[in-house]
Amino acid sequence: MTLKPAFESLVDAHGAELFAYLWRMTRDAPDAEDCLQETYLRAYRAYPRLDSTANCRAWLYKIATNTARTHLKRRGRTQARTADLDPDLTRGGDPIPENVERRQSLAAVARVVESLPYQQRAALILRKYQELSYSAIAAALDCTEAAARANVYQALRKLREELKLARSANDQNDRR
Amino acid sequence: MIKMTADSNLAAWLKDKSGMPAPESLTDALDALYAAGPGERATAQAKEKARRALLKYSAGTVYYDVLPRTPVGPVYVATSARGVIAVSFGPTERAFLDRVRKETGALARRAPKENASAIRQMREYLAGKRAAFDLPLDLNQLTEFRRRVLMAALKIPRGQVATYAEIARRIGQPKAARAVGQALGSNPIPIVIPCHRVLASDGSLGGYSGGKGVKTKVRLLKLEGAL
Repeated sequence: MTLKPAFESLVDAHGAELFAYLWRMTRDAPDAEDCLQETYLRAYRAYPRLDSTANCRAWLYKIATNTARTHLKRRGRTQARTADLDPDLTRGGDPIPENVERRQSLAAVARVVESLPYQQRAALILRKYQELSYSAIAAALDCTEAAARANVYQALRKLREELKLARSANDQNDRR
Repeated sequence: MIKMTADSNLAAWLKDKSGMPAPESLTDALDALYAAGPGERATAQAKEKARRALLKYSAGTVYYDVLPRTPVGPVYVATSARGVIAVSFGPTERAFLDRVRKETGALARRAPKENASAIRQMREYLAGKRAAFDLPLDLNQLTEFRRRVLMAALKIPRGQVATYAEIARRIGQPKAARAVGQALGSNPIPIVIPCHRVLASDGSLGGYSGGKGVKTKVRLLKLEGAL
């Protein structure tokens, strides 16, 4: 028989990575903070029902994913807030034209990422920045491993397409 | 703008064994946006906030006891270190424990000593020998709104009634009568918090989710001499 860890230890064990995940999903530190708190409260309520053999980490990611989804829906059409896009760019005094351009590019990419279907965005971030295995992503997103994999690739395919479109539209504007 | 020409190996970026090539600048841009994360200070602060919220929320050990025979069926009472956290009447022991676990996360333990005062007051009340309860309550797990509604209901004395709309006015949200009804309908500590004293604005009884529903509501109001 395996014993589940004391719930409180899950904050130390996974709090930092869950916060990073929520920050990446909401791109806003106060929002991510609220979501982290809500994630742990939801998890606390559900913990007694969690199977002792379950993957705690993936289970917490699942709750965090759903919490952020609800939060973003609520935040909804009130203009999406955007965290400082690239701290390196703001550090060095005068804005250099290249840096401005780079920041605009990043803002464009951020917007396109945010317009992706939620599952795809979550899958991409879980894979690349949270470094979850596909089986853990599947558990977190409540889908099959194949679907988890497909979500990551769909996200990247769409990003490429959208950004190509954005770029050619921009080029045309430049010519005018 | 992001240049989409140079290709690098997406599979390597994703640490996958197979995959498709991705434009270098896209993955660069994604890394610039997401790789760094929120920073240590913000992380420490967020963890601390979550820890504090949990501490405030968690009921700790919960004890329960039962008053087996009353006019409204067996009455179960559960108490945390902060006070009475749940009352149910009519259900099976199992159903009550499931409910407590669902609402508080705690697996309640049977302990007559910790509930002696609540059980005694409940017995006196149901025998018509007690007008009001004098017990600490634990409403920490509820939202601010639900807490305010329940505290307002707590102030209705025995023998009197109020309407959902009146409670809504008393908490300063006159348009929230329906939400007030919902908050009272999910009162975790019925009888002690007398949600049965709140009626619909047209004078009809409204709803009741404890015991045998509206029948029980009538029974309690009759016991109190309000009907």
